[in-house]
Amino acid sequence: MKQKMKLLWITSLACNGNSHSFLNYPHLEQFLEDFEFINHPLFEGTHTLEEIVSKHIYCDILLIEGSISPEILKADLNLFELIKRYSSIASKIVTIGTCATFGGIFKESEYEDISGLHFNAKNLLQNFADIRYKTISISGCPIHPEHLANTLYAIKDKILLQLDEYLRPKEYFAYTIHNGCVRNEYFEYKIDNHQFGKKEGCMFYDHGCQAPYTHGSCNKILWNEVNSKTRAGQPCQGCTEADFPKANLFETKKNMGIPSFLPFGVPKRTYLTLAGVTKAFTINRLEKELFDD
Amino acid sequence: MIKLIEKIEGEAKLHFSFKENKIDFVDIEFLQTRSIEKILEGKNVLDALVINPRVCGICGHAHLIATVEAIEDCYESIDISKKAKIIRELTLNFELIQNHFKWFYFTILPLFGYKQAILKAALPSQLMGKAIATIAGQYPHTSYAIVGGVVSDITSMDLIKVEQYINETIRFFEKNMLCMDKDILDYSNIKALLSQKGDLAMIINDIFKNNWEDLGKSYDRFIAFGENSFFTKGKSLKTRRFSNISLDEIEEFSNKNSYAKNVTFKDTYFEVGPLSRAIINKIPLILDIHKKHEDSIVSRIVARVWEIPQLLNHTKELLRQIDLKEPSYIKPKKDISKITSTGSSAVEAARGSLIHKLNIENGIIKKYDIITPTQWNLSNGIRKKLGVSQKAMIGLKDEKIAEIVFKSFDVCSVCTTH
Repeated sequence: MKQKMKLLWITSLACNGNSHSFLNYPHLEQFLEDFEFINHPLFEGTHTLEEIVSKHIYCDILLIEGSISPEILKADLNLFELIKRYSSIASKIVTIGTCATFGGIFKESEYEDISGLHFNAKNLLQNFADIRYKTISISGCPIHPEHLANTLYAIKDKILLQLDEYLRPKEYFAYTIHNGCVRNEYFEYKIDNHQFGKKEGCMFYDHGCQAPYTHGSCNKILWNEVNSKTRAGQPCQGCTEADFPKANLFETKKNMGIPSFLPFGVPKRTYLTLAGVTKAFTINRLEKELFDD
Repeated sequence: MIKLIEKIEGEAKLHFSFKENKIDFVDIEFLQTRSIEKILEGKNVLDALVINPRVCGICGHAHLIATVEAIEDCYESIDISKKAKIIRELTLNFELIQNHFKWFYFTILPLFGYKQAILKAALPSQLMGKAIATIAGQYPHTSYAIVGGVVSDITSMDLIKVEQYINETIRFFEKNMLCMDKDILDYSNIKALLSQKGDLAMIINDIFKNNWEDLGKSYDRFIAFGENSFFTKGKSLKTRRFSNISLDEIEEFSNKNSYAKNVTFKDTYFEVGPLSRAIINKIPLILDIHKKHEDSIVSRIVARVWEIPQLLNHTKELLRQIDLKEPSYIKPKKDISKITSTGSSAVEAARGSLIHKLNIENGIIKKYDIITPTQWNLSNGIRKKLGVSQKAMIGLKDEKIAEIVFKSFDVCSVCTTH
C-alpha cells in the first residue's frame, strides 16, 4: 500500500472557515488517497486531539489555522508548546489563512501577544524564528482550497516553491486580485460611476475595492470554481494581506479626489497622467449598460 | 469525569457527575472566546458586514444576513426590493442545506459506529457552495448582502445554473440519504421513512434497534425568532403554540464555568433549531415523530435532515419568483454616517435562531450583541435550573451515549464563543 503523507491540522483562535473552505477542494477523493490527517478539526484522523497533546505522533507537515497566543490552551496543553513539539517533528509547516499568517481579525481580540506564526500584521516576529525556514504561508480569509491542496502536493513532490516576503507561494500571490476581474475595462478607462447591484463599473474609485493592491488569485483561480467577489459586485476587502481588515471597507479613501492607495508599483504621477488621458475620452460602450440594445 | 468533545467547530469539555451509575449533572465548558463584539466597537457599522461572517466558518452567511438586517433596522424606513429579499433567502437556504449534510455525514455517522463519509459530506456541500458563489461571489465568507439590497446583478443564465446545482443536490439526497419513492408531502409518519433505503433510514433503524428512540428528551419547549417565506416565528410548549414573541424578552448572561453565555426567553430555557422550526411550522412528518418520541434524538436527527428536501424544493420555487427587472440594490436615502439608532434582527441559521442587536452613533458601532443558536441549546445552567442539552443528558448511563445526545443538537463551538 502506498505511503500517505501525514498531516496534522491544528486550529487555534479561528472561525473554522479555512477547514470548510478546504472541503470545497474538487479533488478531495484523490487528496485523501495521497494524504492522511493524524488530527483535523472536521475529518476523523488517526489520533484524537488528546493523543496529539499527550504524545509525540509522527507527521510530515504541520498545518496551523487561526491566530496564535501563548495564552491559548489546546486540550489543556499550551499552544506554543504544541507548535514547538510538532514543528520539530514535521519537515514542513504551512500557516493556513490570514489569521495564522498575520494575526487577522482576531489580532484585535483580548489574548496576550496574539499574532500569526511569524508575523504580527507586517512585522516579522522572533518567536519561532528557528522554524521559519520550513514555513510556507497561505493567506486569505478564508484560504482558497486549491492554494492549500496544490501547495501540499508541491511539498509532497519536493518542488521548490518561490516565496514572497511573507513566505507565500508566488505562484498564487505574485498576482493581484485585480488580474482577471471582469470589470477591468472600467478600471482601465476610469469609468468611475459604479453602483452596487450592477454588472458594470469598477469599485476601486468609490466603493473601497482593494483588488489592484491586494495579492492573490481570486480572479485567476475562481472561488467554488465559478465566481469571485469582485465579479459578483463586491469590493475586494484585501483579506489576503497583513493589514486585513482595514477600516471603512466600503468606501475609497481619497486625498484631493485621488485614491490614497494606488495599484501596486504604479507611481502617482503615472496614475494621474493615465487618468487624465482616459478622462478626456468618452467610450460609449462602457458608459452604457452591458445588455443595452 | 471530564470528556473532551472535539470536531464541533472547535472543542468543549463536558464535566459529568454520576449518581447511582447515571449522569446526574453535566457542566458544559467552552474553552475560548474571540471577543468579536468588542472588536466591532468603534468601527464603521458597514465593516460589520465583513467582520461578522468570520464569526463562523460553517454558518457565516447567516451572520451576514443577520448583520445586514440589523443595520437596516436602524433606519426609520428603508427600501429593499423583493428581488433582493428573495436572493438573500436563497443563499441562506443553501447554507442551511450544506450544514445539514456535513453534520449528518461528519458528526452523526461516527456516533453510530460508521466511518465518516467525507465525500458524501463534501459533494452536496460543494454544490451548495457553488450555488451561493454564483450569486454572491464565493463561499464561505462573502459580504454580498449590503445595506439596501445585494451587490449582485444576476442574470437568467445564473438562475439556470443555480437551479442545476439544486437539482443535482436533490438527486444526491434521493440517491444517498433517502431513496424517496413518493412525493415529499406524502411522508407523514415515521414508518414511511423506516421502510426506505438510504443513510437516514439506516441511522433511524439503528436507533430503534438499540432502543435509543427516547434518548435525549429535554423540556419539549421550542422557540424560533426568524421569519421568511418558509419559516414562521413562534414558541411551542408541549403541543401549544404561540406566535406572539418578542426579542425584548431575551436575556443573555455570563456563566462562571465557561466562555459561553447563557440565554433565556422570559427567564426560561428553550430549544432552537430544525426540530423547533418543524414543530412551530407544523411539518407533518416531524409532528408524527414528535408525538411518539417528543424531543428525543430521533426527532432531532430526522427534523434536521428533513429540512434538506423541503428547503431544496422551496428554494426552487423561490427562484421562479425572482423578477430580474427589479433592482438588486436601492441606495438608502440617508447616509449611514448620519444615523444614530438601535437595530436588531433574527434569522433562522442552520442550528436555530441567530440574533444580532446593535447600537450606532453617527454610523459608528457603540455596542454589538450576538446571540447564537448553540448558546440557546447549550446554556450551562445549575442543578436547579438546567439548560436544554444538560437536561437531555441527565439520567443517561454513560458519557458515550451522552455524546450522541449532545451532538444531536449540532453544536457549533466557534459561534458560541464569538
